[in-house]
Amino acid sequence: MMTKQLLLFALLPIALGAQILDPVVLTKPATDAWPTYNGDYSGRRFSTLNQIDQSNVMHLTLGWVFRVRAGAVPGAIVGGEGPAPVEGGPPNPDLSTIKATPLMVNGILYFATPDNAWAVDARSGHELWHYFWKTKGGIHIGNRGVGMYGNWLFFETPDDYLVSLDARTGKERWHVEIADVKQEYFSTPAPIVVGNHVLVGTGGDSLDVPGFLESHDPETGAIQWKWWSEPLKKGDPGSETWPDEYSMRHGGGMTWIPGTYDPELHLYYLGTGNPNPVLTGRGREGADLYTCSIVALNVDTGKLAWYFQPSPHDTHDWDAAQTTVLIDGLFEGKPRKMLAQANRNGYFFLLDRTNGKNLLTAPMVDTINWSKGIDANGQPIPNPDKEATISGVLVSPPSDGVTNWPPPSFDPDTGLFYVGVKESFSEYYLTDTDPHPEGYAAAEKYITSYGGSLLAIDYQTGKTRWKHSYIFGGGPIGILTTAGKLLFAGDGLGHLLAFDPSNGSILWHAGLSDDVSNGPETYMLDGHQYLVVGAGDSLYAFLLE
Amino acid sequence: MDMRILLQRTLRAIAGFSICVALAAQPAPPKYDPVSVARGQQAFVASCGFCHGSRAKGGEKGPDLLRSVVVLDDENGKGIGRVILKGRPEKGMPKFAMTEDQIVDIANFLHQSIYSAADRDSYQTLNIVTGDASAGKAYFNGAGNCGSCHSVTGDLKGIGAKYEPVTLQDRLLMPLDFGPSASTKAVVTVTVTTPSGEAVSGPLLWIDDFTVALRNSQGTYVSFARKSDVIPQVEVHNPFKPHSDMILHFSDAEIHNLTAYLVTLK
Repeated sequence: MMTKQLLLFALLPIALGAQILDPVVLTKPATDAWPTYNGDYSGRRFSTLNQIDQSNVMHLTLGWVFRVRAGAVPGAIVGGEGPAPVEGGPPNPDLSTIKATPLMVNGILYFATPDNAWAVDARSGHELWHYFWKTKGGIHIGNRGVGMYGNWLFFETPDDYLVSLDARTGKERWHVEIADVKQEYFSTPAPIVVGNHVLVGTGGDSLDVPGFLESHDPETGAIQWKWWSEPLKKGDPGSETWPDEYSMRHGGGMTWIPGTYDPELHLYYLGTGNPNPVLTGRGREGADLYTCSIVALNVDTGKLAWYFQPSPHDTHDWDAAQTTVLIDGLFEGKPRKMLAQANRNGYFFLLDRTNGKNLLTAPMVDTINWSKGIDANGQPIPNPDKEATISGVLVSPPSDGVTNWPPPSFDPDTGLFYVGVKESFSEYYLTDTDPHPEGYAAAEKYITSYGGSLLAIDYQTGKTRWKHSYIFGGGPIGILTTAGKLLFAGDGLGHLLAFDPSNGSILWHAGLSDDVSNGPETYMLDGHQYLVVGAGDSLYAFLLE
Repeated sequence: MDMRILLQRTLRAIAGFSICVALAAQPAPPKYDPVSVARGQQAFVASCGFCHGSRAKGGEKGPDLLRSVVVLDDENGKGIGRVILKGRPEKGMPKFAMTEDQIVDIANFLHQSIYSAADRDSYQTLNIVTGDASAGKAYFNGAGNCGSCHSVTGDLKGIGAKYEPVTLQDRLLMPLDFGPSASTKAVVTVTVTTPSGEAVSGPLLWIDDFTVALRNSQGTYVSFARKSDVIPQVEVHNPFKPHSDMILHFSDAEIHNLTAYLVTLK
């Protein structure tokens, strides 16, 4: 194995001293790279590549499979502050599930799972290096990948460190602590690099801690600015939406899904998580800003430019962290700069991204039963009768939402926004009757699901143009669209599928050894368009024969 | 794919459950020695509860200790002990003369309380039976039309003694049994009719856009390629459809009343 790694290194086509990732690549939709979590800053996950198209997609063939071997395996570069992992024992599948969208730069793929990062040859699927982080703990639920600046890679760990590696060798450059794992913070996002800012968020629902987004210096790891997702003291903007300082300082609002960026407006867009305590509103009466909000931050200062709150005073764990997709197009006949989000609470939102003004709010599915309607600002009005009670309330959606973190896609050719959804119900039982409840404060019992679907939503009307329903399976699943008039997504039943994005017909499928677990991506390499997707513990690369 | 896994995945998909949700219904084992935690709770209530509240969630004078960084960072009473033994005179907290063992007990009580607050899978529901049993009975026999499938002297006889109220309420909404034991129960069935007119029926084991699989009357696994939505013809029979339909229209009061009624069927 070692010989193979050294041999591969010798063949790497990188001149020493040259920057692997030219920063210019990040500012335009790339075709020969996938240099950031969503492929580009827009969050559209639409590729202009069209070598693979409707006429030849049935000839896609498997190029290679890369199966991860997570942990302190032989050959791994080991770092981290925690104790040495216990030998033997069953492997933890959470450490091997690929939720990251790998970056592809100069023929190399870079990605991460909790505590692990890899570089893999994008031509062959051969491992170049593997870095393993010895953890101090934290919830190991997933990792959405790495960010890149020049030759440097950045990823976050479940025990809340930002780790920087040299992309050429996998050797660690530095690590800095971004949050306290003992306060139940855990970190899953892929850092997003904008200019010389490494934007880093975090997660954690269990102990009522405040959320934040930090900007770090890519060279040193030093913090440049920190934006708290709640006001810190009475009198600060948003503090009028909390009963007291104590509640806002324990108010949640995690920043766990990478945001998007408009270079012209210089604004970074981000959805924030649910307020705490999670499943009851007692002790935090009010709208609880800026939890469950879409926020626009100045990328150089971290100052809030505007906000819109899709779930005011959320009591069901429906964070608004889902990808904020930037759309440039017509609305009511006029060209506009817009932002769309398919929200966990079941509604599709369209905003003017210059000022946060709501343009459209539309329910995505029929089952949602928690809102009394839409107010003049485009915000759903929560029905207080659907907040958890001791005897239970039946609510759709459950806490995991109509949709969730798996990335949606916007195809400018069809004008349609694609998202995986499911229609389900839970009973929410209040378990903590203290005037100051803590943690979740209620128990949730999943009742049933009416199945999952892939929706094609007309962004200008919010109406569903087509819907592919699965009797079983489906649900929130990552999506890619391309100029080859193709939409790629999983079905939650072990397949990768290609759809006609205009009408939902299935054009091709391949059976994988597990469900699609990340957002599919595509890039050109050696004149071939590659399609790469993660399913469970393996990456699969497809190309035309 | 292993047949057992395939079956579990199908059942999981049908039920909308994951197996871990089922397991989560079991309370998590205590993380700290329960005897020490009980002693610690007693000592805490006696010495600390006046300021910090009997549940350590804060009182008139003292802060909430379940969200305290000192407590969260503590290991085996070392950090907490320093504060107990020295006090915080600047904040009005006196010092307390306690033995090392007493401090460890109090630390264990606080750590177990934090663990319980943070671990949502261990949350216990309270007395959920708040509905009106006679209104539930009227609904059962009237608007709910439950008698068309069920009988309180037949399949539901003694059901109130068989299940905890919260389980009863969740099952009345969607009765599908799930998890490994479900493999013994024929729940959802399917009929597949090939273009030649041959029809095969049995418990549904798998269905997606490309394949449908069932167990035939001989007990043999049979699968069919699906060439389109109609070739072969696939008819799924879900015996729980009346429940699926009801969920869309149930009011919470109707659910609570029905639960209150079913609880009386001992």
